[in-house]
Amino acid sequence: MHGLFRWSSKWWPGTIPLLVFWVIAAWTNTAPVESDLAARSAAALSDTVLDKRRIAVEGRDVTFAADAFSEDGRRGAVAAVAAVPGVRLVNDETRLVPEAKPFVWSAERDVVRVTLGGSSPLPASKNRLMEAARADLGGVEVVDQMNLARGAPPRFDDAALLALDQIAKLKDGKITISDTSISLAGMARELGGREAIAAALKNLPEGFSIATNEIKAPPYVFQAYKDPVAVTLTLTGYVPDDRVHAALVAAAGRKFFNEKVVDNLKASIGAPSGFSAAVLPALGALSRLSTGTLVVSDREVKLSGDAFYDAAAVAIRVGFGKDFPQGWQFKADIAVRPAAAPVDDTVCQQLFSDLLAKGTIRFESGRTTIDPDSVGLLDRLIEIALRCPTANIEIAGHTDSDGEDGFNQALSEKRAQAVIDYLVKAGLPASRFTATGYGSTQPIATNDTDEGKAQNRRIEFMVR
Amino acid sequence: MAYLVTFHWGWLLASLLLGFAMGWIAVVQRGQGVSRQASRWLSVLAASLVIAALTRVIPGRPGYWLDLGLLMFALYLVGCALGSWLRDWAVSRPAPAP
Repeated sequence: MHGLFRWSSKWWPGTIPLLVFWVIAAWTNTAPVESDLAARSAAALSDTVLDKRRIAVEGRDVTFAADAFSEDGRRGAVAAVAAVPGVRLVNDETRLVPEAKPFVWSAERDVVRVTLGGSSPLPASKNRLMEAARADLGGVEVVDQMNLARGAPPRFDDAALLALDQIAKLKDGKITISDTSISLAGMARELGGREAIAAALKNLPEGFSIATNEIKAPPYVFQAYKDPVAVTLTLTGYVPDDRVHAALVAAAGRKFFNEKVVDNLKASIGAPSGFSAAVLPALGALSRLSTGTLVVSDREVKLSGDAFYDAAAVAIRVGFGKDFPQGWQFKADIAVRPAAAPVDDTVCQQLFSDLLAKGTIRFESGRTTIDPDSVGLLDRLIEIALRCPTANIEIAGHTDSDGEDGFNQALSEKRAQAVIDYLVKAGLPASRFTATGYGSTQPIATNDTDEGKAQNRRIEFMVR
Repeated sequence: MAYLVTFHWGWLLASLLLGFAMGWIAVVQRGQGVSRQASRWLSVLAASLVIAALTRVIPGRPGYWLDLGLLMFALYLVGCALGSWLRDWAVSRPAPAP
C-alpha cells in the first residue's frame, strides 16, 4: 500500500494525454449526447397530453417547457423527463393551460366557410371537432380558430359535436356554448330545418341547456291563384302533411266549383301553427273573387284581387282574417271588377241556369244554414241578378225524397228564404225575390241513387 | 452514471489503458514525483471537483464535461493503480533460475 502512494506521485505525466482525451471526448460527444437525450425525453412524453411542448438539452440538463392540462399531468410529465436515463437536471418551465371562465366555444357559419372558435379542452377534442366539422359539412371550408383552455364542462365534446351537426343544417348562423348554456342564431338551410334542429336539441348531453334559440327558417309559403281566363285554381307551395294536403284540395274543389284545381303543393314540415285554420277561410275569401291571388308566407296572409260587386268587396275586406288563429297577420287588397253590361231577362235566366248547372248552393245537412263553401257561387249569382235589375226572380227550393213530405216542403221553403236573406243582405231589394218550396215534388233525377238525390237537392233561380 | 459509461465506453477504456501504461512505467521511473505538498493540494482540488459534480452546481454543458472528465480521471487512476501493482508484482518476483 505504501508503494502505491510512492508510485502515485509519478502518475502525473499521464494526465497530459488524459486531458487531451477529455477535450476530444467532450468536443465530439456533446452534440450526440444532447440529441440522444432530447429524443429519449420526447419518447418518454409520447403518452402525455401537452400543448406547446419544447425540449432543449444542454449537456445532460433538459429544459422542458409545455402547457399541461392538469396539475397531475404537469407533474407526471416533469417526472417522466427526470426519469429518463442520463438526464442530470430538469429545468421545469411547464405551466398549466390557462383556465377559461366562462368556457366559451363557438361555431359560426357564413356563406363559404365554417369557423370554429373559442376554447377547446384538449388537442384531441380539438382535432375531433375539426374532423367532425369536415365530415358533417363535406366540401365547406372549416377554419380552426380554437384555443386550448381548461375549465370545460363535463361532456363538452358531445355537446360541441351535437352543435356541429346543427351547423350543417344552417345556411348561416352561429352556435355558442358558454359553460353549459347553448345559444343558437341564424337561418336554417331548408324549410323544416328549424324544427329538425329543435328536435335534435332535445338530445343534449346531461347538464347542458338552451339559453336562446333564434334559428329562423325560410318563409313557409303557400299560394293560390285564381285564373278566370284558364278557369283554374293553381295551388303552389307547401302544406304540413298529406292529410292537410288532401283536405285542402278537397275544400278547394268544393269552394271553386267552376275552376279546375291545379295541385302543385308539396308536403313539408315547418308550417306555422294554425296553418289549416288560416288557409281554409282564406281560400274561401279567394273563391269570392273573380280573379285573385292568395299568398300565405309564414303567418302573413295577403289576398288581392277583384270582387264581383261593391258589397262583396266590403264584406270580404271586413270578414277577412276574422276567423284566423291568433298571431296571424292579414291584408286584403280587394278591388271591384268593372260591372258587366245589363242584359235582358231571358239572358239573365240563361246565365242563372248555366251557373247553377255547374255548382249547387249547399246547406248544412237537414238545416237551412248556407254552407260557407257556397259563398263564391252566391256572389256570382248576385252579380247576374245585378245585371237584370228589373227582373223579378223566384227562388225555388227542392229536396230529395228522403224524409217526410211535410218536412221536405218546409225545408225547401226555408232554404229558398235563406238564399233570399243572403241576397238581400248583399244589397239586392227584397221585393224582387219570392221564395217557393217544392219539397221533393219536382225531381230532375232519380231518387234511387245518391248521385240522383244530390242533383235533386237544389235551389233554382227562375226569372218571372 | 450507467448512461455515461455506456455512451462513452471507448473513451473510458482508453483512459483505463492510458492509466495502466502510466502505472506500469511509474514503478521503475526515476524522475521527480509530485511533492507531498502539491499532491495534497491536488487531492483537495479533485475532492472539490467531485463535490461540485455530485451536488450538480455547475449547469449545462460544463456540468456534463466535468462529469465526463472526473469519470475518465477516476478510470485513469484505477488503471494507474492496476498497472503499478502488476509491475511491482512482476519486478519483485524471484528471477527464474538461469
